[in-house]
Amino acid sequence: MRALLFFVTIFYVNEYVQAVRQIPDDILRGNHTNNWAVLVDTSRFWFNYRHVANVLSIYRSVKRLGIPDSQIILMVADDMACNPRNPRPATVFNHRKQHINVYGDDVEVDYRGYEVTVENFVRLLTGRLFPGTPRSKQLLTDEGSNILVYLTGHGGDGFLKFQDSEEVTSQELADALEQMWQKRRYHEIFFMIDTCQAASMYEKFYSPNILAVASSLVGEDSLSHHVDPAIGVYIIDRYTFHALHFLERVSPDSMKTMGEFLAVCPKQECISTVGVRRDLFPRDPHKVPITDFFGSLRPVELGINYLNVSIALPLTENTIRPVKQEEKYHYAQQFPTHLFQTRAT
Amino acid sequence: MVYSKNDWNKLLKMFTTVWDAPSGPQMFQHCHLFPRALGEVAGRHNVQELHVTLTEGLWRYEYWGFPVSDAAPGAELWTWFRNDTKDVDNIWKKLTGALSGLLCASLNFIGTPNSLSPEYSFRPTGVVKNSNLNSSFVRYATLPREIVCTENLTPWKKLLPCDSKKGFASLLNAGHIHNTNYHSLGLHIRPVCKDAKCTEVSIELRQTVSLVYDMMILGFQNQDWSLRKLFGLGLSGPCPLATSSFIYVDVTSNETGTPYQLQPEPTEVITSIRGGYESKFKVYNIQKMSFTHMLNIVATYSTPKVYAVNVPPVLYASRYIVGYGQERGGIVTKIHNNHWKHLDIIYLENIPWFLPIYLHTLRVVAGGKEITPILKKYVPGKERSRPYSLEVLLRIPARSVTEIYIEFDYVFLKWQEYPPDANHGFYIGSAIISAYLPVGKNYMGLPQAGPTIYSSFNASREGFLLQLRTESLIITLPTPDFSMPYNVICLACTVVALAFGPLHNITTKRLCMKDGNSCNGLLIRLKSMLFKGRKPQAQAH
Repeated sequence: MRALLFFVTIFYVNEYVQAVRQIPDDILRGNHTNNWAVLVDTSRFWFNYRHVANVLSIYRSVKRLGIPDSQIILMVADDMACNPRNPRPATVFNHRKQHINVYGDDVEVDYRGYEVTVENFVRLLTGRLFPGTPRSKQLLTDEGSNILVYLTGHGGDGFLKFQDSEEVTSQELADALEQMWQKRRYHEIFFMIDTCQAASMYEKFYSPNILAVASSLVGEDSLSHHVDPAIGVYIIDRYTFHALHFLERVSPDSMKTMGEFLAVCPKQECISTVGVRRDLFPRDPHKVPITDFFGSLRPVELGINYLNVSIALPLTENTIRPVKQEEKYHYAQQFPTHLFQTRAT
Repeated sequence: MVYSKNDWNKLLKMFTTVWDAPSGPQMFQHCHLFPRALGEVAGRHNVQELHVTLTEGLWRYEYWGFPVSDAAPGAELWTWFRNDTKDVDNIWKKLTGALSGLLCASLNFIGTPNSLSPEYSFRPTGVVKNSNLNSSFVRYATLPREIVCTENLTPWKKLLPCDSKKGFASLLNAGHIHNTNYHSLGLHIRPVCKDAKCTEVSIELRQTVSLVYDMMILGFQNQDWSLRKLFGLGLSGPCPLATSSFIYVDVTSNETGTPYQLQPEPTEVITSIRGGYESKFKVYNIQKMSFTHMLNIVATYSTPKVYAVNVPPVLYASRYIVGYGQERGGIVTKIHNNHWKHLDIIYLENIPWFLPIYLHTLRVVAGGKEITPILKKYVPGKERSRPYSLEVLLRIPARSVTEIYIEFDYVFLKWQEYPPDANHGFYIGSAIISAYLPVGKNYMGLPQAGPTIYSSFNASREGFLLQLRTESLIITLPTPDFSMPYNVICLACTVVALAFGPLHNITTKRLCMKDGNSCNGLLIRLKSMLFKGRKPQAQAH
């Protein structure tokens, strides 16, 4: 009897929770209105060159397909391009034969060096930044924003390591994304992660409208692609190398779909199995254009009606002129010679 | 753009925008050529004067002379706020945050714990109303660890009126200018006199790039240089929004050293006598030249390279750490005075709070004799809230080497205060030596009243302000073993497991007798199968 009562209560509570979880119709029907990208590299030190190359590959693609710098948050934990060990300064290549300089000439890094911490990352996602944080370091998304979140670095089962000193767990990440959902800070999220055992990071997600892809499943390691003998380190990871290869052939008006992108690295190329999480994403990835997340198409309405714009406002002159006080300015004395003259022997 | 050649190729590019504005809070609201992003930052934070530099490398005064504008390695930021600013520390923190977003640098790490207010060293370079300078309105901070790369060059270029499309900024290719021994980006805002009467004030923004190339590293076999070799491409034309656009090539050493020929021919040749020293410049007026094809200034040498004896400038300095162990040490600054007369200098030390220095150990020794400083200003640091600031006014004797020595202690930090790569070490910012040189030898700095390089020609004054920056130092503080908690947990758990296991076995299991023949172990059965032959022999014995 008591057990029956218990189960009935659970049933009703579950129903209530489902009702709350139901996505409001206006959001389900509406399209996204703007695109953002949060690209994070969490590794420090020269031997993690490939992680910086990874994140810059995605940065380059996203920028080329139309997302402006003001809507990209790029976090790079260490400097590889101008590192004294780099024989080709101000360049980061994706291939030892120097096919593409993914660093480029027009790059803006928002969080760099010691600023890439778990605290800053979670604050950025949830929007709880300190007052006075500049706009380029804020994620100013709204309920119509599609966000691409890309993480790369060293990871393990359920965590991602930041700069060799701290970690973010999959539960924290899931909670941060849930906070974003509660505050209506995103429309849809495409979550990409390229680390070892990457799939563990998306397993705990419970917010709707998230499509996640990981470069390896739990228990597998993501492998790097090849080593550059001139530099002496691995230059890029396999999954991102093939993802970049795919994205290089995407143009801003491309009709390629997310479904094709999810199949970008088969097992014989990547050696690890690419994991995908689709259950939180209501649409079919094969019907979602790739520019929904990687590009930034703004819908434009062409009209043939004429708009009447009349500049009828009279130009008002500011008749009250500030009283100019005749103050004399002068250049300040640069060196206090008087102190030496009076006291010197 | 100024180009001078010794054994190294030194280059300075300077972009100056002078902008008229009424003083007051609305100063930066109407922007034409002045970059609005920077104007808003400066206006909102009540800035009177602002100087930001991002530098990679150290300027070697002994070999290269004096730069046009000097900068410390890493990031350096100093600001004079207006006299009506209420809470300077608070607004300083906000300013650094805003600048970090503008320039893509980690300037937001600058705050009260690493900023100082120098009394004598950083006087306003712009105009002021009254001569009484209150040093509580100046803030100086440096981040020696900061790197400068393309991500800093990109927003810097976007602040220029012509961006990087036309004019000298089109030469600034990241791959070439970061492949240098020394590269420095600078932003300087200051108020200047609008006219000779000086009753109204204009705002001047100067953006500078200083580069020192090492031709040997670049792999060029001969000493010929050209714009294309240095920047990767030639100049396609001046910026249409510029009032003047010049290239100056310093040919003073052309008569004394290995001579070279410049092509194309310069527009004019200027001889400048400054502070008793003569220097010669060949000038290219870019606006007067025709650009049917890209301009490439080429210098060809006719004779092989001759390595001349280096004549160091009148004043240069170096700094290093002495001492051993991780308990105490000392900082020594050596100042070389090559002038025939004594020089008055101001020495500023900026020591972080985690390196307590002891003022009673300060010793100044010149040529074997101890000299007493004329004035000392010491602001002791406070843990986690204020750095140590020491300003010493000295008169250093002629033709001498002066050593300033001070001792410090190493301290332990809390484990959260170590950076992720703690074993790299901690940086101490450069010391700054300000001097008033009576002669203009090797001096290329701009005069106070003039914004362009042209104003520095024949600009003799009674003294030339020089600010030298020494090396920044790295020290290794006693660093804890960050793997210790993990190791302790593993060890403790192993010990507990080893102790607990047998104890549990003994207390919970009962021993009982067993027959000899039944149930032998697997190993014994295997052995008996393998050594069937031998077994009877063993039993026989």
